[in-house]
Amino acid sequence: MKRNIIFLLLLFGGASTFAADDRLVVIAHAALSKTDLSTLQRVYTGRIVSINEQAAVPVHLLPGDPLRQQFLEVILGQSEEQYTGYWLVRKYVGKGAPPVEFATTDALIKYVTSTPGAIGYLPASKVPMGANIIFKP
Amino acid sequence: MKAKLLLALAVTFPLSASAVDMTWSGFGTLGFAQSNQPYPYLRFIDDGGTFKSDSLLGAQLDLKFDQHWGAAIQAKLAPSDSSDTEWNAFLSWAFVSWRPVDDILVRVGKLRVPLMLNTENSDVGATYDFARLPVEVYSMAPTTDFVGFSVSKSWLGADMEWTLDGYYGEAKNYTRYYGREARDGVSAPGSWFEKLDIKSGGLVLTARSLDNMFRAGIHEAYASQPGGTIADIPYVSIAPGLGIYDLASGRSVEHLRIPFQNVGTSILLPGDVRLTSEYARVKVNSASSGLSRWGAYFAISRQFGVWNPYVYYAKTKSTDASLSLYQSVNGNVNPMLPTAVNNYQKTSADIISPYDQWTAAVGTSYRVTPRSLIKSEWSQTHTGEVSSFVDAPSGGDSANKRINVFSLSYSFSF
Repeated sequence: MKRNIIFLLLLFGGASTFAADDRLVVIAHAALSKTDLSTLQRVYTGRIVSINEQAAVPVHLLPGDPLRQQFLEVILGQSEEQYTGYWLVRKYVGKGAPPVEFATTDALIKYVTSTPGAIGYLPASKVPMGANIIFKP
Repeated sequence: MKAKLLLALAVTFPLSASAVDMTWSGFGTLGFAQSNQPYPYLRFIDDGGTFKSDSLLGAQLDLKFDQHWGAAIQAKLAPSDSSDTEWNAFLSWAFVSWRPVDDILVRVGKLRVPLMLNTENSDVGATYDFARLPVEVYSMAPTTDFVGFSVSKSWLGADMEWTLDGYYGEAKNYTRYYGREARDGVSAPGSWFEKLDIKSGGLVLTARSLDNMFRAGIHEAYASQPGGTIADIPYVSIAPGLGIYDLASGRSVEHLRIPFQNVGTSILLPGDVRLTSEYARVKVNSASSGLSRWGAYFAISRQFGVWNPYVYYAKTKSTDASLSLYQSVNGNVNPMLPTAVNNYQKTSADIISPYDQWTAAVGTSYRVTPRSLIKSEWSQTHTGEVSSFVDAPSGGDSANKRINVFSLSYSFSF
């Protein structure tokens, strides 16, 4: 009986932990301060290039990554097709290039923590110790 | 000029490659179009079919030096704008951009004028759903590219980004003429291209959100040619009751003033129906007074998953005065006069370059990936008194034609 209870606790405890860890958070290089949803939307659509007079360099995971899909839906309210289409036009009217993309969260973390102004997103479970979380949806 | 631009870009930013973020991208369209008529429409489209009307291949290099400085170079391979038989490589863009603060963007170099809703991205077929942007409107601008500068100021609203673009620059532009009986110095039908030096400037206000876009612009261009430009085609009497419209006797002016205005909107209505409409008008006080015209189109589309079917109606018409002049010159044929003189009248009428036509089109795009589209369209064009989009057959004219065009294309970007 005790073993069953422990098993159930582990099962549900683990599930809730996973659910919490999968929540999306936005991290940035140490120098950037906390920000809001509207500012993030503008940064990721190229309409502003700084936050509080600090350069902002947004980065993405590759198209098809579930976390990117979650970011687009939750933060930008767009589908992959809409977002790609938006940048396709913006790029070809000479108003800038879309954010740089990384294949893995490890590569993204490495870039964000080492590049002044860089902004990226991660599942909460992968946020490294001491990372600068600037927004939680 | 192109080499100088590239050199200027290179010396302005002598930074090591490692200090620069470089992004390559490419785009292209492979398009086939065929009409039901033996004479060419829009330079290339006839009943034999052509790949030349819509096909092109391009590449773009975006450079980012830091948060404030960047550059872009775009080149394309497409049918020449100064020959009906050649393909040319063009440098569409080569500019340095400076963004001192979030809401100001300064660009210097070779740029594209922000004219109609899709002028700047017109070469990138993957960015719009029409198989061919309505020619009744998109052909009207005196030039789409220039070497100069532009300054953009933006205001960010809750949902809408407002941008005011101001620009000034110079361009060398070719105007195509088609003579159905004779062309420039040759007694045979064919096309020729007049090179013009154009200085243009303008102001464009754009409001853009995720779903909607509005644009209004006022532009002014000055066109000139070495030795002057002929401003009219006077009637010269050569005998009692007999005369000709003589281009050679026309008044020569140093430059032509060409004002151009446009408005456009693309809005998402309830039910995911998109309404897109644009209107433009231009005035050209030259021997080619038919270039003074208005053009408009009205399109409705709706997205069904990866399909985006649309219909549009487009119309353009030259001023009544220029259409009247065309009729007078075109009809000034006298069997008592030598054939060469009568052909001269026909060629003079062609040089007026008048337009009177409308097009109805139905088509669809199919989004293969977020960056590539297959498009198909059927359109029917009706010409009225005349249309310079039609290379009229010898011995005839371009009045009252019905031209069906089927278009199929694949546009991509990577």
